Amino acid sequence: MGSKLIYVIFATVLLMAGILVAICLAEPVANGAGLAHPQFNGMRVGGDGAARLEHIGSLAFAFQALLLLLIVCLSALGVAEQRRSTELWAYMGGTLLFSLFIWWQMYSGHQAFLETGVTSYFMGFPVATAWQVYGTWLAAIPLIILYSVGFRKFIFTDEDEQKYQQLLESIAAKSE
Amino acid sequence: MEAYRQEIIVGAVVIYMVFCVITGLWAMRLTKNSSDFFIAGRGLGPIVVSLALFSSTLSGFGFVGGPGLVYSIGVSSFWMIVISSTGYALGFFLVAKRIRMIADVRNCISLPDVLAARYNSEAVRFLIAVTIVLGVMGYLATQILAMAVVMQAILSGTVMFADIGLVACVVISSTVLIFYCVTGGIIASVYTDVVQGAIMMIAGVLILLTAMSVFDGGMQEATSIILADDGEAMMPFGAAGIMASLGWFFVFGLGLAGQPHLVTKMMMNRSIADNRTILPMSLFGYVMAALLWVSIGVIMRAAVIDGVIEPLALPDDAASLFLSIFTNPLLAGIVFAGLFAAIMSTSDAFLNIGTAAIIHDIPKAIRGHAIKNELFWARVVTVILAIVAASFALYSHFQDATLVAILGAFGWATFAASIFPVLAIGLNWKGATALGAVAAIVSALLINFIIQLAGIVLPYGILGGLIAFIVSLVLFIGVSLVTKKPELDADMEAVLNI
Repeated sequence: MGSKLIYVIFATVLLMAGILVAICLAEPVANGAGLAHPQFNGMRVGGDGAARLEHIGSLAFAFQALLLLLIVCLSALGVAEQRRSTELWAYMGGTLLFSLFIWWQMYSGHQAFLETGVTSYFMGFPVATAWQVYGTWLAAIPLIILYSVGFRKFIFTDEDEQKYQQLLESIAAKSE
Repeated sequence: MEAYRQEIIVGAVVIYMVFCVITGLWAMRLTKNSSDFFIAGRGLGPIVVSLALFSSTLSGFGFVGGPGLVYSIGVSSFWMIVISSTGYALGFFLVAKRIRMIADVRNCISLPDVLAARYNSEAVRFLIAVTIVLGVMGYLATQILAMAVVMQAILSGTVMFADIGLVACVVISSTVLIFYCVTGGIIASVYTDVVQGAIMMIAGVLILLTAMSVFDGGMQEATSIILADDGEAMMPFGAAGIMASLGWFFVFGLGLAGQPHLVTKMMMNRSIADNRTILPMSLFGYVMAALLWVSIGVIMRAAVIDGVIEPLALPDDAASLFLSIFTNPLLAGIVFAGLFAAIMSTSDAFLNIGTAAIIHDIPKAIRGHAIKNELFWARVVTVILAIVAASFALYSHFQDATLVAILGAFGWATFAASIFPVLAIGLNWKGATALGAVAAIVSALLINFIIQLAGIVLPYGILGGLIAFIVSLVLFIGVSLVTKKPELDADMEAVLNI
């Protein structure tokens, strides 16, 4: 996977570009980007939520799923090629599944609200929004743990530090 | 205490500004050369870098514009902040280690320096420096104007300064900013950032606690009031819709690693190993401070809908009205000081990178070498840059807002689209070429500029910045893949291998 990673990233970005084009060409709806609030100046409303997802809902879902894949791939790109072990890929795969799960909970929670008009609450917010507020923040925690806890294993190993010091010493020696 | 509300607020802001001046004087003694002035001699500890990093991320926009956006479009704007954990993570994975190594190996003092070394290209240096200067002018002008407007609002509430004008407020606030930036350079900037960051965190937490007590049922009552008025406004994609929300997720998440004022701070730490603690600490600080954005916006929208308060004249009034209606004077004083802190911590970072681009990078790209006596000229250009930006701000306010609006287009999204691919991917992929970098930067600038100037509105709230970002990524990788793989200098090869 190592050297092919840039191709995966490129393909993901191309797919996202294609989805954006498809959304631009989709049938527009009046409240696609919201409407002015009928009563309060400066406030906007979303209006009929089902209507504005009717033509682009699945495209938008796929766009975000690809973005989550892109984030994981870019994080892996930030790890030196020789450290992209099976263990790292397994961890990254788990991270992707975790963030996809949060995205699915958020999207399906919204869909359920659109169908029923009712929602329960979690820590101050409607459940779907709670997945967004708390879940999205948490989705990157595995990456932060990998970076902080796995720093000496994946990001900047003792061997890396030694090589880096040698590089600095050789540059200093040349300049003298 | 209520009778002295304005005096307490003014007192808190004055104490904060005096602190900035003293820090500038202290840091002047530590600033001996241009490396100290621009990157603090690469000797900062992890706590200082963490606080400087997050406080520069959350500008005045976060304290004024953020709550205003929640008031206006509901949950949509949350996407700009909930992505911060991913944004910081990507920034550290992709940039933090190698930018610090290249800065060390090539003795770089600015982002264009690093990219010129990476691509062995003065064209890349020039384009990045020009992008930075354009962005800095727009950002600085809007920040200075915001600072002056807030100062006027505070001072006009007192008897002594009831008739104070906006020009006087621009002069006062810019003078403090210029003073500590000129005397102490980036050292003053980051140490004021430490206090600024602490104030912002305290303000964020205290505001959340206050906001939760406005309605008897706490935050849940507020969100249910908004939900009953318009379900979409309180659902995950808010009033602005799914594509605007996901666009912000993309541009603010990936784009953090393309913000020059933030990534430059990744060059300043004492040790690369400190990055493992800087990342979680920065994120923690940001989350605490961002509580203000979410809580004020939600409470003010609910309060207006429920008839608790009158509708706001402007969405951006949300924060100041919340402070005057719902908080006690001491907390209002802390938050107003926090607001100045947020504006100044971003402004000083921009002033610093803009000056570096003008006196260091553009001359180097054109003439092949830096100017003599960089430290002296850095101080001179810092003053000039701030005065020009303040003049732009005033001209925009009193005469014609077009110029600053155009420069303002070179904001977060333009930096993200033009710098992210070149820096974040370029530092981790040896196949990236200078031609790919030039194509990415030029396309990002052009697309953002054209969409802004032509007033193009895309369907479903798709952001122009998102289009620019994706096109820039496609061109950067695509052009690099079809052009000849570059032969890297031995030291760059070694750095990219680590």
